[in-house]
Amino acid sequence: MALSREAIVEQLQKIAGPEQVITDEQVLKENSHDRYRKLQSVFGIYALPLPAAVVKLTDVEQVSAVLKFLNENKINCVPRTGGSATEGGLETIVENSVVLDGSGMNRIIKIDADNMLATAQCGVNLEVLENQLRAQGFTTGHSPQSKPLAQMGGLVATRSIGQFSTLYGAIEDMVVGLEAVFPNGQITRIKNVPRRACGPDIRHVIIGNEGALCYITEVTVKMFTYQPENNLFFGYALDNMKTGFAILREIMVTGFRPSIARLYDAEDGAQHGFDQFAEGKCLLIFMTEGPKGISRATGEGIEEIVARYDECRKVNTQIIENWFNHLNWDPSKVQAERDFMRKNLNLGFTTEVSGNWSCINTIYENTIKRIREEFPHAEDLTMLGGHSSHSYQTGTNMYFVYDYNVVNCAMEEELEKYHVPLNAMIVEETLKAGGSMVHHHGIGKYRTPWTKEEHGSAYYILKALKDVFDPNGIMNTGTIYPLK
Amino acid sequence: MKIVVCFKTLADYPMLTERDWRVDEQHQVDLAWVRQVYNCYDESALELALQLAHDGPDAAACETTALSIDDSRADLFLRHLYAVQYDRAVRIDCGEEVDLRFNPLAVSLLLASYIREIGGQQLVLIGSEGGMGDNRQTGFLVAERLGWPCIREVIDVVPEESRECLCVTSRREGAVLTQTVGLPLVLVIGNVLRSPYLRVPTLKEKLAGKKKQVLVLSPTDLAIAPDNLSGNDRTLVGLFRQRQDRQCVMLAGENAREKAKTLYHQYLAERLKG
Ligand SMILES: Cc1cc2nc3c(=O)[nH]c(=O)nc-3n(C[C@H](O)[C@H](O)[C@H](O)COP(=O)(O)OP(=O)(O)OC[C@H]3O[C@@H](n4cnc5c(N)ncnc54)[C@H](O)[C@@H]3O)c2cc1C
Repeated sequence: MALSREAIVEQLQKIAGPEQVITDEQVLKENSHDRYRKLQSVFGIYALPLPAAVVKLTDVEQVSAVLKFLNENKINCVPRTGGSATEGGLETIVENSVVLDGSGMNRIIKIDADNMLATAQCGVNLEVLENQLRAQGFTTGHSPQSKPLAQMGGLVATRSIGQFSTLYGAIEDMVVGLEAVFPNGQITRIKNVPRRACGPDIRHVIIGNEGALCYITEVTVKMFTYQPENNLFFGYALDNMKTGFAILREIMVTGFRPSIARLYDAEDGAQHGFDQFAEGKCLLIFMTEGPKGISRATGEGIEEIVARYDECRKVNTQIIENWFNHLNWDPSKVQAERDFMRKNLNLGFTTEVSGNWSCINTIYENTIKRIREEFPHAEDLTMLGGHSSHSYQTGTNMYFVYDYNVVNCAMEEELEKYHVPLNAMIVEETLKAGGSMVHHHGIGKYRTPWTKEEHGSAYYILKALKDVFDPNGIMNTGTIYPLK
Repeated sequence: MKIVVCFKTLADYPMLTERDWRVDEQHQVDLAWVRQVYNCYDESALELALQLAHDGPDAAACETTALSIDDSRADLFLRHLYAVQYDRAVRIDCGEEVDLRFNPLAVSLLLASYIREIGGQQLVLIGSEGGMGDNRQTGFLVAERLGWPCIREVIDVVPEESRECLCVTSRREGAVLTQTVGLPLVLVIGNVLRSPYLRVPTLKEKLAGKKKQVLVLSPTDLAIAPDNLSGNDRTLVGLFRQRQDRQCVMLAGENAREKAKTLYHQYLAERLKG
C-alpha cells in the first residue's frame, strides 16, 4: 500500500535527518515547477500537486539511502540542482513526489592542473567553478547563458551547451568521469581517463538522463587554458538566413573553429538592439579564441570566407563585444523578467532544434511560415524569430524565440493557448524535415509526445535503459519518456 | 485632448565598461556603437500617456504625439511608438552644429516652440530626468516658456470623473498628493505607480509602424534661429564618469546557516523593525 504523505516525511526525516527534510508550503510550491510555468508562478498560481517534501542532499551515501527508500516504496522523485530548467523537468506531476535538492552538495573537490581535470559536486554553481578556474588561468569552456544559475548536476543531466561550443564542444564533450546513484541505491563511479575502448561509453547513460534514470552526485570536467586576451570579435550584417547558414557551413567545413558562431534573423537581432546598427538585417557573429596565432588565423579565415559573399557588410566589432559581455542571465535578470511579465502580461519562450546543413534552412523557413499562417492567435505575437548558435561539421541548431501578449485568457490557460501549440509546430516541422526536436534544453515533460518519433527504431534502446535502471518508474515520471 | 510626450533615448550606460569611457578633446565620448534605450522616466511617461488616451473612456477624442530632439537614429524608436499606437511621431533635428548636452534652455525652447507653433497640445508629459549628468530642469523650463502650471514627481494620472479635468497623483516631500487640475498642464513624471514599461506591440502593429513616416522638423520650421540655440548659461569644462563605488563585506562563518544568522542580526533585523 502506498505510504501516506506524513509517513513519507517521517521516514525521510529518519534517513536524512529532520533538518534536511523541508515541508514549508512556500518551499514546496517553489519546488513544484520550473520556468515552463514562469507566468503562473509570477501570479502565485501553483497548479501541480505539491511535493511531500524537499530533501536537502548532503552526501552520496545519504542520496543512496534516500533513493533506496523511495524505490522500495514506489515514490516518485524529482532531482533538482540549479532550478533553471525550462521544459518542465522539475515539475512534480505525481502526488506526494519528493524533490531531491542537490544544491547543498556544492564542494569543488579537486582542481588537477596536471591532468587538466576539475571535479565538483553536483550542486556547484558553474559560475563559481568557472571563476575559481579563471583565477588560476583555466576555464571549463562551458558558458551557457544560465551560467550564473545552473549547477553541475543539472548541466550534465540536461546535456547542456554553452556559447563557446563550436570550439570546446557541449557538456558531453567536457565530462570525463562521473559519480551517480541509481534508484536501487547503487552508487556508480566512472573513472577519469582520456579515452578508452572498453565497451560502449557508459557516461552517455548518465549524461542527459534528466533525472529519469539516476541521480548525478559528482562530475569531473576537462579544463582548458584561459587566454581571453586573444579573443577577437567579428560581426556582419546580411540579407538572408540562407546565406548565413551557407557561410556557417563553409567556415565549419573548411576547418575553422571559432568559439562563437551565431546567425540571428532580423526579428531576433532586434531584441538585442542589432536593428540600431543594421535595421532589417540578419547578423552573423563570431568570436575566435585560443593561442594568439590560432585566434588570429581563425579570424582571418572567417574574414576571407565572408568576403566572398557580396551580401555581407561588416559591423563595428565593439557592438559585438559589448553585446557578448551582457548575454548571461543572473538572478537580477530573472527578477526583472518577472516584473515585466507581471506588469505587461507579455512573455517569451524558446524552442531549440537542430538539423543537418541540407535541411536547416527548410526548418527555419517552414516553421516561421507555418506559425505566421496557422497559429490561431498570431495577432497576439509580439516577436517571432530565431538564431543559430551552435554549429558542427554536419549541421547547426536553430533556436526559435517567440513572445506573446496574454490576451483574453486565464493565467491557467496561457500555456495551452500559446506556448503548447507554438512549440508543437516547431517540433513537427523539424521532425518532418529530418532534424532533431531538442538541441540542448532536454525533452522535459512537454516534448514527450514526440520522443518515440524522434528516436524511431532506436527508441528500443532508450526504453531498455528505463526498464533496467528504473523498473519501478520512480525517477522523474513523465520526463523524457511519455506517460503511459 | 491632445497629449505630447517629450522623450529621449540614451546610450545604455550600464552596458559600458570603464575602458569604454574615453573622453576626447571636445568632451565627447564615442557612444555611436552603444545600443540606445528609452530614458526610463520617459518610457514611463510614454506608457502613462497611452493609458490615459487609449484605456480611458474618451479614447476617440484623444490624440497622442511622441516628440524627440535627436538625429535619425531615433526614428527606429519613433516608429516603435507608432507601433504602440501613438498618433504622431515627431523628431526635431538640429544637425551636428548645435550641442544640446547640458543645455536645458535650448532643449526647452525647441520643445515649447513645437507645442505652441505646430502641435497645439494641451497636456505635456516629460520624464523627470534624463540619465547621467542630467539637470532635471527641462520639464520646468518647458512649463515656464509655455506659461503653464507644472506638477513634478507625478506617479499617476487618470481622467477626472467629469472628464473636464485630470486627477494627478504626485509625491511631495515624502507625502502623496492627489489633485484635480485643468488643462493646459505640464507633468514631470517620476517613479510611476503602474507599469514603468512601455507596452509591447504585436508583429502586425510593428509592421504597420514601420510603414509610417516620422515628421522631421528643423529649428527653422519652429521659427528658431540657430543663434538662439547656441547660447547656454553654463560651459562644459570637463567630463568624468560618475563613480558608483560600493563597499563589500564578506560574511564570516563556518557554514551558510551561520552566515545567514550574521546577516540577519547585523544587517537586517534593525531595518526590518522599521
Ligand atoms: C535564462 C536561461 C538561460 C539558459 N541558457 C541555456 C544555455 O545557454 N544552454 C543550455 O544548455 N541551457 C540553458 N538553459 C537551460 C538550463 O539552464 C539548463 O538546462 C541547465 O543545464 C539546468 O541546470 P540546473 O542546475 O539549473 O538544473 P535543474 O533546473 O535543477 O534541473 C534540470 C533537469 O536536470 C535534472 N537534474 C538536476 N540535477 C540533477 C542531478 N543531480 N541528477 C540527475 N538529474 C538532475 C532535473 O530533474 C531536471 O530534469 C537556460 C535556462 C535559463 C533559465
